[in-house]
Amino acid sequence: MKDLSELDFPETVRYTEDHEWAAVDGETVRIGVSDYAQDQLGDIVYVEMPEIGDIFEKGDEFGTLESVKAVSEIYMPVGGEVVAVNEALVDTPELINQDPYGAWIVEIRVTDVGEYDELMSAEDYLEMLRG
Amino acid sequence: MAIRLCRLGLIDYRTVRDLQLRLVGDLLAGQRGDTVLVTEHPAVFTLGRRGRRDHLLVSEVFLAERGIEVIHIERGGDITYHGPGQLVIYPVLDLRRLRRSVTEHVSMLEELMLRLAADCGVTARRDGRGRGIWCGGAKLGSVGIAVRHGVAYHGLALNVDPSLVPFTWINPCGLSGVRMTSLARECGRDIAIAAVTRTLPQHLQDLFGQPVESIDCDRLPWREAD
Repeated sequence: MKDLSELDFPETVRYTEDHEWAAVDGETVRIGVSDYAQDQLGDIVYVEMPEIGDIFEKGDEFGTLESVKAVSEIYMPVGGEVVAVNEALVDTPELINQDPYGAWIVEIRVTDVGEYDELMSAEDYLEMLRG
Repeated sequence: MAIRLCRLGLIDYRTVRDLQLRLVGDLLAGQRGDTVLVTEHPAVFTLGRRGRRDHLLVSEVFLAERGIEVIHIERGGDITYHGPGQLVIYPVLDLRRLRRSVTEHVSMLEELMLRLAADCGVTARRDGRGRGIWCGGAKLGSVGIAVRHGVAYHGLALNVDPSLVPFTWINPCGLSGVRMTSLARECGRDIAIAAVTRTLPQHLQDLFGQPVESIDCDRLPWREAD
């Protein structure tokens, strides 16, 4: 497990208490897990993703990450409809360990943009982690 | 805050799984602290989240004739067997409060099994072929957990003195050609689960850095709160 100072928390995305990140990309939002999350989980061997068209509310479980002998749930930072899933993660789940902010998991069309604005900034998230 | 330890005895798998889910819910709602369940299950096979039935080497009819169920559950790992004589420990713990990562928790469960085995005079070790603990070339104990909002549940299964025959009906943990062993086999004598768990409170206290308090089973949420 790394020290917080060795982890990366870009200011271009927003964060949740459950360690997901969300980033606006045009009319949609891409969602993944933070550098802290991937470090806590260890080597990820499987990513369970939803179907395109699935609709979730903020906070809903939308998939799981399996690291060695451990299955961890992941939750929606904002509500919306899944418009894409990152197929590259099917065969190369380790991308999440290698590049957590490049390896988005799902892309959604957001129901309420206000929910995105409520998410934590990098500074707030880091403060929570230091807590 | 103390970790509460409860010895359930021999109880069926589904009942204890439902109990775990309620303990997780209570913990997340701030209504309960960390709880460690110690149990044994009647014969059952469980498949992890993405466990595959093709690692089951006998037919479901064969199992049904013996009254053995195959249950699909949310923990990590593939297929495994639980049965009488196997010590099963489910620590339902808030990893965030304990400041433990998921990988550290899995290692801690292995360490707990290594210490319990050592108390019986058995030297076991970790092995590159996968998680769990091993004796020579045979697997002695397994781990598999799930994590919900930072709360870990499911846990470990240590073969104290179970029948090892049902393990030959599967590829344990999805690994082919794995031989299973037990503390009794390694020691060449009968071993009771109660004898193995005598040192458990001390080990839990040492490994999790929290005081451990034994509680009665009637203090657990066996039923959904009204």
